[in-house]
Amino acid sequence: MSAYPITNYAALYESLRTRRLKPIAPKNLDTVAVRARVTLDRARLRSKDLFVRAHTIADRNKQTKSMSDAVLNQAVDDIREVFVRRRQQREHVDQALALIREVARRETGEEPFPVQLMGALAMYHGRVIEMLTGEGKTLTASIAAPLIAWHHRKVHVLTVNDYLAQRDAQSRECIYKRCGVRVGAIVQETQTDDRFQIYAREIVYGTPKQIVADWLRDQIRLGQAKTPWVARTMQQSLEAAGGVRFGEGRGILPMVPGLHACIVDEADAVLIDEGVVPLIIARARREDDMASVYAEACELAKKLDEGNDYEMDLVLRKATLKFRGQQRLRQLFAEHLARGGQPLFKATQRAEELIRQALVAKHCYIRGQQYEIVDGKVMIVDEYTGRFLADRNWEHGLHQSVEAKEGVEVTADRETLARLSFQRYFRSYPFLCGMTGTAADATGEIESTYSRPVMVIPTNRPCVRQELPTRVFRTARDKWAAIADDIATRNAKGQPVIVGSRSITSSEHVARMLTQRGIPHQVLNANFDKDEANLIAQAGHGGTSTRSASVTVATNMAGRGTDIKIDEAARAAGGLHVMLTEMHGAKRIDRQFIGRAGRQGDPGSCQMFVSLEDELIRKFAKWAGRIARERSSGPEVSGAPGVLALFRWAQSRNEAHDRRNRSSVLRQDDWIDKHLPGMG
Amino acid sequence: MSERHTFSPFWHRVRALKPRLRPHVQITRQRFQGGRWHVAHDPSSNAFYRLSPVQHEFVGLLDGSRTVDEVWQLNLARYGDDALTQNDVIQVLSQLYGGNLLQADVTPETDQLLTRGRERFKKKALGQAIGLMYFRVPLFNPDRMLAATEPILRPVLNRYGLIMWLVLVFAALTALIPHWKALTGTFEAAIAPSNWIFIGISFVVLKLWHEFGHGVLTKRFGGQVPVFGAMMLVMLPSPFVDCTSAWSFRSKWQRVLVASGGMMFELFAAAIAAFVWIATRDNPGVVHQLAYNAMLTASVSTVIFNANPLMRFDGYFILSDIIGVPNLMQRSMNMLKFLFQKHVYRIDQPQPPTGDAREALILLVYGILALAYRVFIFITITLYVLGKFFGLGLVLAVWTGAMWFILPIGQLVHWLATHGQLTHKRGKAVFATLAMAAIGLLVLGAVRFPDHRRATGVVESQKSAQLYAGVPGFIDQVHVRPGQRVRAGQPVVTLQNLELQAQLKLSQGQLDEAIARELQAASRSPAEEIIAREFVTTMRKSRDVAQEKVDKLVVKAPFDGVVVLGSALDRVGALVPDSTPLCEVIDDRDLRVSASLSQTEADWLASMSPERYKVEMRRASRVHDVIEGAPTRIPVIARKDVPHDALLFQGGGTIASQQGADGRPEPTNRVFNAHFVAKADEGEAVRVVGLPGERVMLRFTLPSRPLLSQWLDRLEKALQGRAKV
Repeated sequence: MSAYPITNYAALYESLRTRRLKPIAPKNLDTVAVRARVTLDRARLRSKDLFVRAHTIADRNKQTKSMSDAVLNQAVDDIREVFVRRRQQREHVDQALALIREVARRETGEEPFPVQLMGALAMYHGRVIEMLTGEGKTLTASIAAPLIAWHHRKVHVLTVNDYLAQRDAQSRECIYKRCGVRVGAIVQETQTDDRFQIYAREIVYGTPKQIVADWLRDQIRLGQAKTPWVARTMQQSLEAAGGVRFGEGRGILPMVPGLHACIVDEADAVLIDEGVVPLIIARARREDDMASVYAEACELAKKLDEGNDYEMDLVLRKATLKFRGQQRLRQLFAEHLARGGQPLFKATQRAEELIRQALVAKHCYIRGQQYEIVDGKVMIVDEYTGRFLADRNWEHGLHQSVEAKEGVEVTADRETLARLSFQRYFRSYPFLCGMTGTAADATGEIESTYSRPVMVIPTNRPCVRQELPTRVFRTARDKWAAIADDIATRNAKGQPVIVGSRSITSSEHVARMLTQRGIPHQVLNANFDKDEANLIAQAGHGGTSTRSASVTVATNMAGRGTDIKIDEAARAAGGLHVMLTEMHGAKRIDRQFIGRAGRQGDPGSCQMFVSLEDELIRKFAKWAGRIARERSSGPEVSGAPGVLALFRWAQSRNEAHDRRNRSSVLRQDDWIDKHLPGMG
Repeated sequence: MSERHTFSPFWHRVRALKPRLRPHVQITRQRFQGGRWHVAHDPSSNAFYRLSPVQHEFVGLLDGSRTVDEVWQLNLARYGDDALTQNDVIQVLSQLYGGNLLQADVTPETDQLLTRGRERFKKKALGQAIGLMYFRVPLFNPDRMLAATEPILRPVLNRYGLIMWLVLVFAALTALIPHWKALTGTFEAAIAPSNWIFIGISFVVLKLWHEFGHGVLTKRFGGQVPVFGAMMLVMLPSPFVDCTSAWSFRSKWQRVLVASGGMMFELFAAAIAAFVWIATRDNPGVVHQLAYNAMLTASVSTVIFNANPLMRFDGYFILSDIIGVPNLMQRSMNMLKFLFQKHVYRIDQPQPPTGDAREALILLVYGILALAYRVFIFITITLYVLGKFFGLGLVLAVWTGAMWFILPIGQLVHWLATHGQLTHKRGKAVFATLAMAAIGLLVLGAVRFPDHRRATGVVESQKSAQLYAGVPGFIDQVHVRPGQRVRAGQPVVTLQNLELQAQLKLSQGQLDEAIARELQAASRSPAEEIIAREFVTTMRKSRDVAQEKVDKLVVKAPFDGVVVLGSALDRVGALVPDSTPLCEVIDDRDLRVSASLSQTEADWLASMSPERYKVEMRRASRVHDVIEGAPTRIPVIARKDVPHDALLFQGGGTIASQQGADGRPEPTNRVFNAHFVAKADEGEAVRVVGLPGERVMLRFTLPSRPLLSQWLDRLEKALQGRAKV
């Protein structure tokens, strides 16, 4: 890597160039204009034409198959040359794709189907494609990536977790190598020095969290240096003073050499779900004696009655003190101070704020749903992936309030160093494309936020998954009983079942019930994630004479990207059955989970069990839920008119709520950028 | 109780900054409502920002060496609960930075600066577009000119000058009191179209003088006047100066004086003009007329426009300063918004524009008045302009209507649809809005309001006679005064014609001679007698003719009636040729008012029985006397003429007119000439509705109708006849 340091200045220039592009989210009438442009864009490249084009490319295989390795390599080099010189015409793109397809076939033995070629073409043209779950998105990405890398110099391929990033980077390296592009993967464990080198490669695999964090750290390092010239001078003076060398992660040279192009796998998860919480780089504040304050606030908050003293808004996660509550608090503060409490309780407003926060921590943050305690620490569970978010804290004392509530050691408050919303980060890419199994529900948002049209790619093989009607129960207890019964029946039949649950608590509840009934099962949640790959590999086993069919109880961890292969016994018993024990906050997430069954033409089935006491109803359709509960008689109310519509309505309200949250994150970002000096 | 969050997620963006106010920013302390405020003013960009004491201390501590975080900690330690929250700090910093009052220790980003500049421009352009009725065109910078002239006036720009001004204005008023009648009497003539050019000139000159007053006073107290320009005030160009630098004056009275400076200068001019007018009274001429115009313009327009606090002119700023409520208009609108959010939409923590109860009341009252006035002025101006310049008026009306009414409605809908706080009450909020709209529509569309229409007519006599001079002669005696009641046969004018009288005497002499000769002849012979008798007959005839002519010298009233002002009545001694009209006698027991109505009004009246509506008539000369009238004729056919030219726009009336084919003015649209008389049951005496030719204002009280249908009717009237063109 001797030539490496020289390119690092280029990284500086590239990084600053990207930083200057500050994409502001469109407002008011501009949104309409953006939508119109996307619509126009979509009309220019119709899926029908692309389908035909993909088939003509596929038809070239006779010609490419007959090439010798040397001829193929030469042809690839030649076409790459065309791209590097920016002389590519449509013909060249088609030719290049045919060649890459041949390379993929020779290197991995998998020959991309025409629909995958179509997907690759669509992505090359900046579309977010929707390919049904289990249609081979990984292969599609691996033939699109070299093409995009040739065109845009560098491309980031973002996947949902480290495991997938590592696996894909390694398994596809042979293709990329032959296409003349280097590849690397950034995972949690990658060392800083390695990162510098990997980012210099043409194709970089990684999770959004890693790459965005690296980018953000670069921005902190670059600090106020606004022009390459200033940055370079600063770096030179640093080098002169301390002998900093390039590529060592010191100085102000950036790690990520600018943003060029990006392929987002699971685009809806990355582009939309992650958008709610911006990425924050924080450090612990040193001077902090607030630990006892939080504990005391927690104690005081316990003395208040809900309803009389305060009201909770579960959706907005907000506590409102009533007049009576405020009076009581005044009194409590006085008593507390008399007993020698923290002097902070003299400042009534600040103290009230703390109390409100303690109330929010008490009512809205529940162990096993939003967080779990691991080794005496509060760990946040990601709502969408079901995994722990390491090094992530809630802001502004909320984390401390939760810690105080759980009685674990209260950590120091952290102070934000930098903050970047994912939306904004992805909008900084001059070229962005993506793929997902469930873009349809998010089309509007992807198109308006990222101005990328969504294109649906037809399936290669028809899906034979059987979708059983949703069963609705009056109470949660009835629901759980019915779930256990259903699992038992299916298990007896020898059908493998994967039980999807929304939180750790409910996954453990199901596990307990299964243990009581003596049904062997496996649990996959953030607490038990050691054996993930193995569990997933076994999840598709059907029942045989020697062992019973597998029952896997999983949170959203198994909801996305996992490929469960079924064996012959399972196939005979009707394939994998996905059972959802609750309706998720967004339809997409349900569909993703359901997508675990019936992959690539395999048989499979799915069913959803919901009750009128579920969180979704409690939060978003409180009164309607109560009325429905009171009017129904038996334990099961599946047939009642409008009851399913009620659930869908609650779900759509939740989706709308999240959507608003996301857009407010983006708007706040824009506001701050516009009104404050300097940059984040 | 508002919940304030101490921490902001964006604190890291400002935490380490070391900003400071730009060195040339001046901070002055002002008192409002007993509270202390600090106004930061950047003279270069004329940007202002008002700081509370806590904010002021915070900003004051930003000296370029402390970080924002350090200063915030200091603020927190000092003020405790009252300290700024992180969000407050970000708010203050962003606004100061946005107004270019703050410089940070970072290189400003060019594109950020440019974007901000562009946005400022856009905002300004949008403001202009919204206020098309008050379009502003900046022309030049008058500062140096004012700086040169201000020292000349300085000796009087002090308290003595103010006293002198008061004395002068008072003196002028007292001097005018004896001439009050003359003053109001000539008003009609002064606003006649023939006088418009004079009014225009005096208006422009006086408005320049007005603005000069503002400018000079601003300079007097040390401010800057960077812009002089013209404002298209409802398409009437009027000058303006930018005195915003006065906002940073410490003393409230200085600010009040600057705001009222224009009016004071104008009233000064009006006082001078009053003296000139009185002095030239005996010798009326151009100077007299000009003085009258100046007096009128400088006092009336000042009171109507500038002193009115409901529009954003001088009076507004004076009021705002005197009651100590800054930014009155905007904050009172915010107050109304706040009340709606709180009580109608039940938003959790709406931001009240003020925490002070008295101020809140002021804002509320002012807000309601200003809003009502705005609607009123919009409708009035629109209808007025529509009547005068149709095409332009329509554009103006549609545009202003869109900006003032449709835009806010759009904003309301947008707010309802997207506001985060409404997430869980959107249904209720939409319902509340619709309910309010429904109530509003119900009030406008179903509740009946009195409906008044106005028209102008002239008094016509149904029986009148013009008195002519039957023979030429010198007017010898006028026996009556105009307006005097006469009986049939009563002499009105006596002419003198010595020749005729001599003729009569001659004829009489000749007759006498002839009679004598006849007697003589009778004694001679029958034949001679016959001849002589013939001669006598001839002579008698000739004498009778002469006598008749002489009799005609006394012009008599043909019937009982009233003498109306005629050309001859004040010309005693003048020679009047044969058949010259002398004066008119009219039968005043049989007068009627003839008024030209438009289609809608005529339709209304024709379709209703006369008992259902009331007609009130007021004579132009005695507007306080109301005479109740009744229609005698409501025509069904429209004609292209009016009973009197005085009703036409060209004749000083209100009906749009044009030059007809015969060169005489005629109404642009066909009109319905209806006749009214004083109501019979009021007795004989009051049937006198005025003198013929006198203008009469008619007011019809139609049955009460919903406002909406009244407005539509009026709009229809304004649009009437246009569709054909």
